Amino acid sequence: MYEISMFGLSVTITAWQLLIVKLIVILTVVPVGALAGGYAMHKELGHLQHRLGPMYAGGFHGWAQTLADGLKFIYKEDIIPERADRRVFTLAPAVIFVPVILLFLVIPIDRTLIIEDLDIGLFYLLAIGSVGVIGVLMAGWSSANKYALIGGLRAAAQLIAYELPIVLSAAAVAMLAGTLSITGIVEAQDWPFLLWPPGIGLLAFLVFLVGNIAEMNLPPFDMPVAESEIITGAFTEYSGMRFIFGFFFAEMAHMVAFSAIAATLFLGGYRPIVPWGPLEAIPGILWFFGKFAFMFFFIVWVRFTFPRLREDQLQKFAWKFMIPVSLGLVLAAGAWVLYAPEQLWR
Amino acid sequence: MALDEKRVSDASAGVGSTGEKSFPDAAARYEQTRLKKARGMTLGIGLLKGMAVTLKHLFKRNSVIQYPDERQDLSPRTRGVIALKEENCTVCMLCGRECPDWCIYIDSHKETLPPKREGGRQRKRNVLDRFAIDYALCMYCGICVEVCPYDALFWSREFEYAEYDIRNLTHEKERLSDWMATVLPPPPLEEGALLPGQPEPEMAAPEAPAAAAPTTAATGARPATTTASAVEARPEQAEAAPKGSSAATEPARPTETLPEGEQKDETMTVGGPEAPKEQPAQMTEETKDQGAPSEPRVAKEPGPAEASDASGGRVAEEASASAATSGAERSGEPAGPSDAEAVPAEEPAELTPAQKAQFQAEPGPNVEVPHEDPKPIALERTEDPEEVYRQVLEEQRAKGSSPQVAEARAKVARVKAERGIKRGPTPVEVDKPVPSAPTKGQPAEPEPSGAPEAKEITPEPGPVAPTEDES
Repeated sequence: MYEISMFGLSVTITAWQLLIVKLIVILTVVPVGALAGGYAMHKELGHLQHRLGPMYAGGFHGWAQTLADGLKFIYKEDIIPERADRRVFTLAPAVIFVPVILLFLVIPIDRTLIIEDLDIGLFYLLAIGSVGVIGVLMAGWSSANKYALIGGLRAAAQLIAYELPIVLSAAAVAMLAGTLSITGIVEAQDWPFLLWPPGIGLLAFLVFLVGNIAEMNLPPFDMPVAESEIITGAFTEYSGMRFIFGFFFAEMAHMVAFSAIAATLFLGGYRPIVPWGPLEAIPGILWFFGKFAFMFFFIVWVRFTFPRLREDQLQKFAWKFMIPVSLGLVLAAGAWVLYAPEQLWR
Repeated sequence: MALDEKRVSDASAGVGSTGEKSFPDAAARYEQTRLKKARGMTLGIGLLKGMAVTLKHLFKRNSVIQYPDERQDLSPRTRGVIALKEENCTVCMLCGRECPDWCIYIDSHKETLPPKREGGRQRKRNVLDRFAIDYALCMYCGICVEVCPYDALFWSREFEYAEYDIRNLTHEKERLSDWMATVLPPPPLEEGALLPGQPEPEMAAPEAPAAAAPTTAATGARPATTTASAVEARPEQAEAAPKGSSAATEPARPTETLPEGEQKDETMTVGGPEAPKEQPAQMTEETKDQGAPSEPRVAKEPGPAEASDASGGRVAEEASASAATSGAERSGEPAGPSDAEAVPAEEPAELTPAQKAQFQAEPGPNVEVPHEDPKPIALERTEDPEEVYRQVLEEQRAKGSSPQVAEARAKVARVKAERGIKRGPTPVEVDKPVPSAPTKGQPAEPEPSGAPEAKEITPEPGPVAPTEDES
């Protein structure tokens, strides 16, 4: 039996009921978030290029555009190539999409609004976040298509290269916060880590950002899906519903999830950006969504500003720059935690 | 930019200083490290600059016209659809003949009308039966509209006549005539342009030759044609002259018009035909100097007869006075025009009647344009005509032609031989064969391309193991 008190209400429900409620919430939040994120991205992209973006579907400023897109794809024929490995081929989109849903489990929207407050939340995020690439590799291998294979291998190489900087920068955050729990990390940020004095937070944020953009296969690191050279890479042979879930939908949901994670880890999540009385009065949910929206805007902005790099440039950048920098970052964070005077930062 | 310049100058200085000490490797290394450092410094800045550019564009006004809901005001010269004014068409067929796509179909018949006067000839008239344009073929070149001598074809801005059946894209004359309602009225004539039917003015335009004469005489062009074309081709110049004269008659305005006059004065020396601008500019300057209303210029009034009467003397006086004052003021101006501009300004803007009469009598020499007629390439006579005549005659007889035909053909061959026209096809030069051109009778040899020979494709098993269904 659990007692839930929220918005001044208090209800007592059983564990099973709680589980069902959580499932409903997560299965509502993720698709809605992905669709809204897709719509926001289309709009931002349009206005970046002096266009309007979607304007018709749904009536008001094309709000239903992504919904209509998704429905269209669901109605399309689901083609499986004759020589494809059927079971792996059909399973791959699910392997890509499910981990993205699971990412949302540990993101606190407010002090109590979190689905599972795991003690190893950060570890969980990093572990789950990199499962998706197995799905990409499965898709690439099972399609029996050269482009798909190249795309899948590129994705795998990219994950290996950029997972290290992500993990190391997240480790720096965990060292600064002294905990792996996501809510604990948020509570440690009286000031957001981004603004912490020696610049460790800022550097960690940049490394985390670049690494995640690469891991999500967003431009300028979208060689695994480079449409002009390898025709959407691992998804060349996919069509219809599998394509939209494995590729578009998962990508949008991943962008939304990453924005939320970055807002939580580096921008202070549901806490105000400066510890000051009047700002504390604003509800945490607004703070969270404001920071989330900023992060989302930012990665879309980056995404449509820079052109795609070359594959070797990508690898060179990861191994020769990002990983040394993030190793130094961990050293610096450790030194700061050990030797900096306590009153400076806690 | 500044950084780059600094980098380059530093690098070159480094090369120069260390290169003399016979350590070229050290100099190159020094330069390389310098370049590397400079690049490292600008790395992040370039990214931020790119982000700033896109962010700036995010807040710019969008340029979308939401087409079915909003409409663009298309240019009056838009090539949308061609409209037919049927009553203007005389079935001259020029449009249909000129059409590169042959997409205009015209049918007509002749109609006989009674004579106008008694005993006269019966009149004939073309009646248009069919006029159709196939817009599935039309490439909107507009040649038909251009060539129509009777203004029967016009461009309309309408463009929404897509059809589900390609056959409906052929617009018959009824539909083409309906488009006439959408044709815009012709644009207004330029200011100062001749109205249709108006006689071309004789070289009158009194101030134009007067002002243009000094410069045009210097360049050796005919003043009459130069000024006439100048007035026609430059409507803004035609505007400028009345503006200047109004400034001269109204004493309150010269200070306002002065900067404008100066501006025009600067552009004056660009070319000879622009000389008429010089006059209003000088006049405004002059009135400013005097601070008093000057009399309206008689020289500006139309009619060459007036210019040559007693007032001409006063004009000459004023002209010299204005030249003197303007020259004096010009020399005192700090940001004045350069010497090249000052020279034509000091020349008298108006001519004495004697000079004018001289120009009218001898307009100056024409400019000789070197011209060379293209020379026809002479055909060489290579065969003896009589020999050819005999040969052809024999050939024809052997073939069994009648004597008259054989003789006629032989004569034709002889005439051709006399003029150097070859009987057979022109022999191909074989000394320098073009490698890609096939030689006669033999197929060209395939060039080695370096690519492997094409083979029939045999599918390979690929990386995938056979699935359960297959095995």
